[in-house]
Amino acid sequence: MGGGSDLLVLIRSGIVKANTVLDLWPLRKELAYIKREKGTVRIGALTTISELCESDLIKDIRYAGLADVCKKFSTPFIRNIATVGGNVGAAHPLSDMVLMLLVLNGKVKLLSKNGKRVVDITKFFKGKRQTVRNYDEIIAEVSFTEAPPNSSTAFIKFDRRWGHAMGYVLVGAYMQLHDNIIEDVRIAFDSMGNPYPERAWKTEEFLKGNEFSDELIKQALNDVLPKEMKRITDYRASAEYRLDLSKVLLRRALLKIKSRIEGGD
Amino acid sequence: MSELPEYVRIVEEIFDKYKDREFLYVGKRIQRWDAVEKVKGRTLFTADFAKYYRNAVFVYSVRTKHAHARIKSIDVSETQRYPGVLRVITAKDIPGINDVGYVIPDQPLLVKDKARYIGDIIALIVAEDPNVAKEAGELIKVDYEKLPVITDPLQVVDLRTLEEKEHPLIHEERGSDIVAHFKIRKGDVKKAFNEADVVVEGEYSTPFQEHAYMEPEAAIALPEADGGVTVIATTQCPFDVRKAVAKVLGITQNKVRVIVPAVGGGFGGKEDVANELGAKAALAALMTGRPAVVIHSREESIIGHSKRHPMRAWYRHAAKRDGTLLAVEANIVFDTGAYASLGPFVAWRATVHATGPYNVEAARIDTLSVYTNNVYAGAFRGFGCPQTAFAVELQMDALAKELGMDPVDLRLKNILREGDRTVHGQLLTKDHGVGLEEAIRKAVEISKWYEKRKLFSKQSGTLRKGMGIALLWHGNSIGVEGADYSSATLIINRDGSITFRVGLIDMGQGSQWGMVLIASEILGVPPSYFRVEQPDTAATPDSGPTVASRSTVMGGAAVVNAAYKLRQRLNKVASTLLGCDPDDVEIRAPDVYCRSSPEKRVSWNDVVEQSFWLGIPLQEFGYFRAPPAEWDEETGQGAPYITYTFGSIIAEVTVDLETGGVKVDRMVTAYDVGKVINRVGVELHAEGGAIQGLGYALMEEVVHNKDAYVMNANLSTYYIPTIHDIPDEIIPVFVEAKYRRGPFGAKGLGEPSINGIAPAIVNAVSHATGLRFYSIPLTPEKVYMALKKAGKTSF
Amino acid sequence: MSTIPREEWDKYPDIEITLNVNGKDYRVKVKPYERLLDVLRYKLGFTGVKEGCGRGECGACVILMDGKLVPSCLVLAERANGSKILTVEGLAPEGKLHAIQKALLDTYAVQCGFCFPGVILAIKALLDRNPNPTDEEIKDALSGQLCRCGSYLRFIKAVKLAAQYIREGKEYFDESEVRR
Repeated sequence: MGGGSDLLVLIRSGIVKANTVLDLWPLRKELAYIKREKGTVRIGALTTISELCESDLIKDIRYAGLADVCKKFSTPFIRNIATVGGNVGAAHPLSDMVLMLLVLNGKVKLLSKNGKRVVDITKFFKGKRQTVRNYDEIIAEVSFTEAPPNSSTAFIKFDRRWGHAMGYVLVGAYMQLHDNIIEDVRIAFDSMGNPYPERAWKTEEFLKGNEFSDELIKQALNDVLPKEMKRITDYRASAEYRLDLSKVLLRRALLKIKSRIEGGD
Repeated sequence: MSELPEYVRIVEEIFDKYKDREFLYVGKRIQRWDAVEKVKGRTLFTADFAKYYRNAVFVYSVRTKHAHARIKSIDVSETQRYPGVLRVITAKDIPGINDVGYVIPDQPLLVKDKARYIGDIIALIVAEDPNVAKEAGELIKVDYEKLPVITDPLQVVDLRTLEEKEHPLIHEERGSDIVAHFKIRKGDVKKAFNEADVVVEGEYSTPFQEHAYMEPEAAIALPEADGGVTVIATTQCPFDVRKAVAKVLGITQNKVRVIVPAVGGGFGGKEDVANELGAKAALAALMTGRPAVVIHSREESIIGHSKRHPMRAWYRHAAKRDGTLLAVEANIVFDTGAYASLGPFVAWRATVHATGPYNVEAARIDTLSVYTNNVYAGAFRGFGCPQTAFAVELQMDALAKELGMDPVDLRLKNILREGDRTVHGQLLTKDHGVGLEEAIRKAVEISKWYEKRKLFSKQSGTLRKGMGIALLWHGNSIGVEGADYSSATLIINRDGSITFRVGLIDMGQGSQWGMVLIASEILGVPPSYFRVEQPDTAATPDSGPTVASRSTVMGGAAVVNAAYKLRQRLNKVASTLLGCDPDDVEIRAPDVYCRSSPEKRVSWNDVVEQSFWLGIPLQEFGYFRAPPAEWDEETGQGAPYITYTFGSIIAEVTVDLETGGVKVDRMVTAYDVGKVINRVGVELHAEGGAIQGLGYALMEEVVHNKDAYVMNANLSTYYIPTIHDIPDEIIPVFVEAKYRRGPFGAKGLGEPSINGIAPAIVNAVSHATGLRFYSIPLTPEKVYMALKKAGKTSF
Repeated sequence: MSTIPREEWDKYPDIEITLNVNGKDYRVKVKPYERLLDVLRYKLGFTGVKEGCGRGECGACVILMDGKLVPSCLVLAERANGSKILTVEGLAPEGKLHAIQKALLDTYAVQCGFCFPGVILAIKALLDRNPNPTDEEIKDALSGQLCRCGSYLRFIKAVKLAAQYIREGKEYFDESEVRR
């Protein structure tokens, strides 16, 4: 248990049966940090979302997407106890932090008695609320390489209400522009068809190397994204709406990143 | 002509006397009596009292695993043996009658042979630790025979023919799953439709709405030495809880005492669930001889108490080319869920209001309330009016569009004015107070309706603004639901301080404060002299339930009576001290003087002390009864309510055409409240009702799956508006078309303040998008899909 | 049924913790699973801390723990060991009102009052770090505090008024000033 905002709710509602809980909070001494050294950003797993949101990291225009997350991540008091590691470990598709780590090429460091291992975040999830973390491992840190100049990120979550929303669709995006050419782009959605967040690889591939234009985006959204995205219908929203909304939000995210790179939003 | 009862004459006399006077307290903004305690966090709500009881026991309700099932057997043996469990209570242990139904005795406290919805309680576990009770509860073995689950009221009746369909009966003991059927039959509807220039039709639907008050339900029962019980509970109806608890325990009502501390929100949701809460706690208390605590979790609250009735309605309007309404016909079906709760009353009120506040020559309305296996539906602010107002006001806008008329102009052409008769044939006179037109005109002026409607019709871009209007009316108090009376007691203590006792409760609306202001005005004493006692069936009089927007109108009228009589006696005593006529006595406590010769003065304390010396009683019980309502079962003709509150809501919205997202920018909420008594109160109602109505319009719905489980039984999946979702401005406007038999002319606002919000917002979205909508919550998806279907989206 | 003694059926050990609540130290024995909310409410009597949902979704239970706004229903009591806790009862001394409380009275925001303890502490947490917040910042800070009676617009006004009072050096008011 990190912050407890997810696990305690699951235990008390009977979804998770647990007689013994390992409280990781005392590890905050060692595992709550945000370090930027040797071209890498390293965030300790027990850093609270609030600490991340109060750091200088999110003021960096390249990581403006994290600032977007800070505006919409649950509520202020949850942010004070929820941890970055917890958000990754909870493996919920509607996970703001995970989306951003996906587009920043994040890595997850796992620690156990037997040593450590580093897993790419794109390979970290394997099923509904399931990760590749073994029972005897803890998430110790997430990290990503510092983004190059002329790049930025954005995150958008949309729902029926503005405050404290789960989101019908979550999109996180990263883009590097040079002379209006998309040098690099990474896109992640809450779900591409699996019950965990994933990258929109084909859409990224389609966009990469081309000139940023409304026409290009439109093509990507109409022709490519629907090929790799399978949405579900549940009591909250239909698959058709989720797919359309994904397109709208992705376009908005990319436009936002562009204006951030060009104007410094 | 029969003479008016004294209690009515007194209210009318005060009305006449104060008609043109400057008020000292009534109509002013005065801080409520409990404001300081509340901001200090000192106020005790029901669950807070548990801290006082060291040896309390906790009651956990084990609920059915299946929404519709016969219960073949219940095996509690393992549960009883679970360490820490004190008692396990099932239906067979109930000493009295196993029923907590509010209107109809159709709702067992503990399931006997059949579960009808997922909140039905199989057994109560009593333990010293709430966790133990919950864990032990999981060990109960129930043999269920599953039955087909009905989640759609249209599986029970056909919306067009209103015939009951073949289906596995939920209430076999009644022989039918139609709980109630109310009608209006007026004029020649067929002829009207044949002769009409324009006919507009639509099928509308509204969802289950959850009250989501911030304080979950709770009750604490204390066993009394004589075998009675004292119950502290979150309830709007202490005397009904007393009745229910006495019935379940099989003891006399005078042995049950119900006390109501501050309640953290009610909105109608704490009207009948407290029967269950009180009975559960009382059973446990008497069986263990210890204080028993019942506290519902939020999930239990959402699943286990009444909801707003969902509505499916088919409406048809007929009109002339010039906009005159000729006829309205409607088939309305309410889903009352597993139990009737207040369903029959909701269906009746909905029927009364089903044509809107308009002159309607001919009408055919049929309202049915039917059982399903969903969570049961009962009272919720508006009580059937928000649902019908939604349908009616959307119909009116559709009619306006068809006729090429401005929606305001169409309404002005048809609204009820003084001298008109309602669709029930009730003549609305000056004495009723009919301020609808004034409310409309004020709302139109403040919102800049004509100007903005014109401006908004020429827009481009992905964000479109819209403006919409909706009218509402709301009959005050309970109509034909029962004998409508109220009472209050004023006691002037020897030191001049005043004790105020009324059986009406505070759930945030603070109606008692309005009553204190009324008494203050009549007695001439500042509100600070009063102490409001908490409702207590052993100490405060039965004022009727705190429902139906009746507290100020009915409770206030009772207070007028008590204060009036006290004032007469005080005047007499003062006149002997001052040497002037009793009618000449002016009380402006702490001063008392003669109006004609103000230099002659004594103090309030002098007058009070003198009264005690003379043995003149300074306590008075005030009573008021509304004339019985008239209603013909077959035709719906008569005089259903004592008066009506009217209102006009104008909403301004911005619609995002790409996502379907709707933001409400501004709302002007104009209400004819007769007379503003507690100015802070009515302003807060207008704001709070607008926000709750906004939730109803755009985001709230309790969703059942096909097995009738609630999918969103917590506050992160059942969305109520947060501070980020409110309009930038809510502008309340109050019109005073006084009601002669209300205190100083006052009418109620508790419920009307939500009735017109949803249709105003949806009409505004219609204006922004040019499309018609038929169901709420009007989620972004519904807006988007309508736009997509009309070819107005890019994907 | 006979009552089995608690020691026999409750196999979890008691942990002794120290909490500093509203300036005073308290030593309590708690179970490992016990919520800070229950300890504050029932063991120490601070019923100003409310339970609205038990899941961190309504904001009614928030308190300030070492200056941070946290949901006491999701903080295990043991984790609070050694921390400084502020509840609404400790916001102002006896007989006094804090500027935030005065502002909520002056804007006539009081309805049922159930959400108030949480709202008041959320406002305190905001003004402690941002003495002159914009409307947007106010809404962000209160975005987790649900109020069903609908006093939100007044909360926004009250925060600005409280900020003004504090800027003017008026952090506390006498209760008698507002009691008529």
